[in-house]
Amino acid sequence: MSIQVLVFYLLAIVSIGAAAGVVLARNPVHSAIALMVTFINVAAIYVMLRAEFLAVAQVIVYTGAILVLVVFVLMLVQQQDLPEFHGGRPLRIATGFVLGILLLAEVLAAILTRSLRGQPGPWTPDAVAAVGGNIQAIGRELYSAYTLPIQVTAIVLLMATIGAIFLARPETLAERIAAARRIFTISLGHPKGTDLGPIGELPAPSQAELKPASFTRPLILAKSADEFTEQPAWGEVVRR
Amino acid sequence: MDWIGLLISYIFGFIVLNVLLLCMAYMTWFERRVLALMQHRVGPNRTGPFGLLQPIADAVKLLAKEDIVPANADRLVFLVAPLLSFMLAPLGALVIPFGDSLTLFGRTVHLYVTDINIAVLYFLALGSVGVYGIILGGYASGNRYSILGALRSTAQVISYELVLGLSLVGIFILTGSLSLVDILREQEQTLTLGPLQLPNWFILSQPLAFVLFLIAAVAETNRAPFDLPEAETELIAGYITEYSGFRFSFYFLAEYINMIVVSLMASTLFLGGIDGPFARGVWWLILKALIFLFFYVWLRATLPRFRYDQLMGLAWKVLLPLALLNIALTGLVRLWGLGLL
Amino acid sequence: MTHLTTAHFLFLSAALFIIGMVGVLTRRNVLVIFMSIELMLNAVNVSFIGFAWEQQALTGQVFALFIIALAAAEAVIGLGIIVALSRRLDTVDIDEVRQLRE
Repeated sequence: MSIQVLVFYLLAIVSIGAAAGVVLARNPVHSAIALMVTFINVAAIYVMLRAEFLAVAQVIVYTGAILVLVVFVLMLVQQQDLPEFHGGRPLRIATGFVLGILLLAEVLAAILTRSLRGQPGPWTPDAVAAVGGNIQAIGRELYSAYTLPIQVTAIVLLMATIGAIFLARPETLAERIAAARRIFTISLGHPKGTDLGPIGELPAPSQAELKPASFTRPLILAKSADEFTEQPAWGEVVRR
Repeated sequence: MDWIGLLISYIFGFIVLNVLLLCMAYMTWFERRVLALMQHRVGPNRTGPFGLLQPIADAVKLLAKEDIVPANADRLVFLVAPLLSFMLAPLGALVIPFGDSLTLFGRTVHLYVTDINIAVLYFLALGSVGVYGIILGGYASGNRYSILGALRSTAQVISYELVLGLSLVGIFILTGSLSLVDILREQEQTLTLGPLQLPNWFILSQPLAFVLFLIAAVAETNRAPFDLPEAETELIAGYITEYSGFRFSFYFLAEYINMIVVSLMASTLFLGGIDGPFARGVWWLILKALIFLFFYVWLRATLPRFRYDQLMGLAWKVLLPLALLNIALTGLVRLWGLGLL
Repeated sequence: MTHLTTAHFLFLSAALFIIGMVGVLTRRNVLVIFMSIELMLNAVNVSFIGFAWEQQALTGQVFALFIIALAAAEAVIGLGIIVALSRRLDTVDIDEVRQLRE
């Protein structure tokens, strides 16, 4: 039993357990936490399979961005108590599990009886170490053979961003115009006021509002230092 | 399987963790004293000489408080969220080199816990996952204000995380590697600017990236002037409203550890880490990290808080384009030489 | 079973994929269905990277990288649609989404 296989078993068991937790948890936030555990374990498996850059990309993109988005939407969308989703439709749940078990049996049969053998590639561990590591090797591979897919992925991500902005735009036309006008405004505390409108332009408080409500002593605004000695200090007991 | 090497790494990691926790406790003292002196007060000076036992007094007080879990709260997540924040915080210090390698008993002992070839990305990944402590803490409190505070804080952290990552790409272009040991080695070279012979510290070749990193780091760690989510006057206390006693302190301790790790990282990435005029060593790293920690406290004492939309506008409209500009410029200079870098 | 072979990570990939599939078929909460879809994409990634390791080529890793990027794009749009849908229908139960059925 090599160490590698033991570590793999540990990580795989935790991943599969957490994945089961995603599907079986009642509270969707618990599902999200279980999915985070799965992602991090899968990232650890990637490190073991000598794909360090993919491991970190998995943590940063999947756990740190996509799943955070999912939790965001969970918070925004489910702020009231939800009915139980587990109740009802036992036929659907049973069908799902039966199909799952069938597919698992089929795939297991395929894995254990056949063997896949492909052409070994050029990136042996020595070749990877020679260029400086996994990142450098992926960089060489990506930017020489896969230049076009990178550009296409960039365009796809741009499309996704535009789509998200479109889906999240406000309902009425007036609000949309106001949002568009605010694009080139960066309010960093301009002395004149803010870009939010009348917050900086409230009227100054009137004299009546400035006067204190109830004072047993008249409020004396001293014009010189001598006048201060007339008033006793706060808490001071004046003995005449 | 190099068991002795693994054991040495573990022991060194244990030492680093303990020293980090001690520094975090005294960072609280440092902040309170420096903040007080900047505000023309004195700060804690009663407990022990110069108030040096204040962190211990604080810990005792917080431990003695009643542990309250709100009735509406999701109990398990409520207990786990601060721990998540606190556990992820010191992991960034595992990749920082604290000195050159020594040779003890015929073995090379490295003064870093591990040297992975993706060290800086690992540090960024920790920041990405650290967001969960905030968002789950806010959700678990079962309180509408907590959820809103958590969402705001999360949006702030993920926006500035982007700026943090992109500001470092210039350094990757100049070094060709993401490993901190390689980055330190690159900073030992000499940079010739005309008649001057300076060490090739990246603060000189990447000044814009340095400023962006600093701003983004202050926002990442939720410190002033970007601490709206935890400000006392807004949203009660944001996502930590329902936390009390030691759980509450977990979030703050996590924040201090984050500050210390970010300061160590900034000194290693931009100021040459252990490099110094006379003798290379961990003392230079400590000095540079102290400069950054002082800068953090100075910012808190001096600047007013940003409003939330100002903060987000700053990240997306100003800092992100500047970071992209920095990458473009560094790439161009590297490609066409210009005799500079 | 003493060394890491193809069968190990193929089994892991199959298990994750099937758990994701069962999640998509069984659950009614739109967001849990979305998370199960991400689980399936991850399973495929595990398979790709396993093959890249075994064949000592980087094609698998590059593919997995593109899958991660595209999953991010899909997540953005999918979640946007979910938010818009939930605003309209005030629920996240996927059985309530039957506008096109009637």
